[in-house]
Amino acid sequence: MNPNLVTALTGYLPYLVPEMLLGAAACVLFLGGTWRANRHLWGGVALVSLAMAALALSFNPLPHYESASVADASRYASPVMLDRLALLLRGVSLAGGLLLVLLCWDSMPENRAAEYHACLLLMVAGMGLCAAANELVTLFLALELTSIPTYLILYLGKSSTPNDGLDAAGQEAAMKYFLLSIFSSALTLFGFSYLYGMAGTTNLPGLADAFRRASDLSAATEPTVPSPLMGMGMVALVMVVAGLGFRLTAVPFHFYAPDVYQGTTTANAAVLAFVPKVAGFAALVRVLGFVLPNLSHEVFTATLSRPILREQLPILLWIVAAVTMTLGNLLGLLQDNLRRLLAYSSVAHAGYMLIGLAAAPRLLDAFDAPVDGVDAVFFYLVTYGAMTLGAFGVLQYLSSSGQKAETVDDLAGLSKTRPGLALIMVLFLFSLIGIPFTAGFMGKFLLFAGALDVPPSQETTFWPPDQRTLFVGLALLAALNAAIGGWYYLRIAAVMYLRDPSPLAAAAEGKRSWPTLAAVGLCGALTLGIGINPDPLKRAVQSAVPRLTDMVSVSAVEH
Amino acid sequence: MDFALSTYYPIFLFLLVVVGFAVSALVATHLLGPSRRTPVKQMPYESGMDPIGDARQHFDVKFYLIAILFLVFDVELLFLYPWAAMYPWASGPGEPSSYLPGEFQSLVFWEVLVFLLSVVVAYIYAWRRGVFRWR
Repeated sequence: MNPNLVTALTGYLPYLVPEMLLGAAACVLFLGGTWRANRHLWGGVALVSLAMAALALSFNPLPHYESASVADASRYASPVMLDRLALLLRGVSLAGGLLLVLLCWDSMPENRAAEYHACLLLMVAGMGLCAAANELVTLFLALELTSIPTYLILYLGKSSTPNDGLDAAGQEAAMKYFLLSIFSSALTLFGFSYLYGMAGTTNLPGLADAFRRASDLSAATEPTVPSPLMGMGMVALVMVVAGLGFRLTAVPFHFYAPDVYQGTTTANAAVLAFVPKVAGFAALVRVLGFVLPNLSHEVFTATLSRPILREQLPILLWIVAAVTMTLGNLLGLLQDNLRRLLAYSSVAHAGYMLIGLAAAPRLLDAFDAPVDGVDAVFFYLVTYGAMTLGAFGVLQYLSSSGQKAETVDDLAGLSKTRPGLALIMVLFLFSLIGIPFTAGFMGKFLLFAGALDVPPSQETTFWPPDQRTLFVGLALLAALNAAIGGWYYLRIAAVMYLRDPSPLAAAAEGKRSWPTLAAVGLCGALTLGIGINPDPLKRAVQSAVPRLTDMVSVSAVEH
Repeated sequence: MDFALSTYYPIFLFLLVVVGFAVSALVATHLLGPSRRTPVKQMPYESGMDPIGDARQHFDVKFYLIAILFLVFDVELLFLYPWAAMYPWASGPGEPSSYLPGEFQSLVFWEVLVFLLSVVVAYIYAWRRGVFRWR
């Protein structure tokens, strides 16, 4: 057998040691939890296994291919793509897993702690594999590896004894999430089956090549008529976007989020706000083919310059982004329940991130643009993770230490009872608004800059309208939305600082949950740190996403 | 390709044994078994359930756990068949042949063992959590 193919099919295994370690640790936790019920023991084991996975990742970060033909074989035959984007997102998911283990430490009953942490570890492995997927099959399995443990934690988080069931809201949350999630998986799979049926391969670079050949063929024979493959391709991509849109809570697939976040525990809501978003954006970027590393300039532009990805898909994503952020923010205004409010906030932030994806294909023309859309999305994903997990962490800390933190009014006078916690909550809220010197500002700045840098269309027609006008409009809409969002975030801050504490809140002095406090502190440090000095993260995401301008300069050097 | 009826003899033999076993078992029970025609024994056999009544009846949730565990082992079996069929067999006087290229044989062997291990972990977990206690 061709030795390059053998390398492609087996050579990636040493690089997946972090995910294997996490899976093995999850097995140990599942079994160990049946002998001992101790949250500190099993939480510690989860932390150690995450640290070991991070160590394994740092020892073996990127594969080194001996020759171009080996790299080529890996691209077209290997089930995983171990590029810099995968490395970045695997690192991000390990860091997010660390924060989630700390944040959820005291949230579940003692006898469920081992299973809960095992589920978290499996989700982290799933997110990492999602980012590294090079095959529709791998991608689907990785998506399921993130979502099946999510169903479990929705049941594990709340009940205190084995026979004590969930309350009605918790049951509704778990069932709703389960049914809608398998529905969205089916949609995604249906779209994948169309892609496979049309292209005859499940390999993502192979799919891109098949689309390119089909559009070349149709352009050669009948320039005005799009090939049937491209027409069906749009159907498939719409289905994939719809199925993944459920995980991103993009409108109109957002409707479950407020009910589920409200019905479940704060810690579970934090998991739901972070894990499916990372997995969904990684999957979307992989499938839509924005990131096809090691491609020559010619192939890269050819893939994206075809009608399907160039004309229709940005319009689809434009509409979804605009509706998602507007609806998320407007409905956020009406909420009194804190988890419901943060659910709408996460819907709105998904909308902001979709701006980057919508602008990305258009930015290929703009050689001097400072961002290319996709890197802004991943920058925002990291900052969103830090600030949202931080905000949920503050609420989780309050509820685990005996204070009610259900509605906005429950936080009244927090600045007097717990001044430090109120201050750090304000930091997260300011970052969610996007006030300068917080991480959220830089994230929004990069996303908006991407939309503003979209160059005008070559030929002006009545429909579709000039793309520059469209995207400047989207950026303006996003700025307006950030202002609307400011209202409900500032309302929480005002309640914390301007109202007197209720006697109940002042009296509540339960045990302190140090791990949750540590998670809040880490999120605060990240939010402030990225806000003050965004350059390290910006460099990291820009080196992870191969930019067209870099590729042009590389190919110029090669020739 | 030549058609040789002799290649199908084993299948004919198999069919003969199957039909013969079914018929002989029925006939033997009819002739040898004691026949007591009580009303309960005259009822149509429905796996121990009362065959007359509403189709919507309560069903013990304990069966659900058994069904899940059955699925685990069912799926396991599904993966083991192709795995077993992949392995080299003696194709005649020459070399043993296989559908699986030699480079992957040890990898696939160990991968399926890891898969089996994960199923065993699930089994022990269910056992420890008292699924088989039938409470």
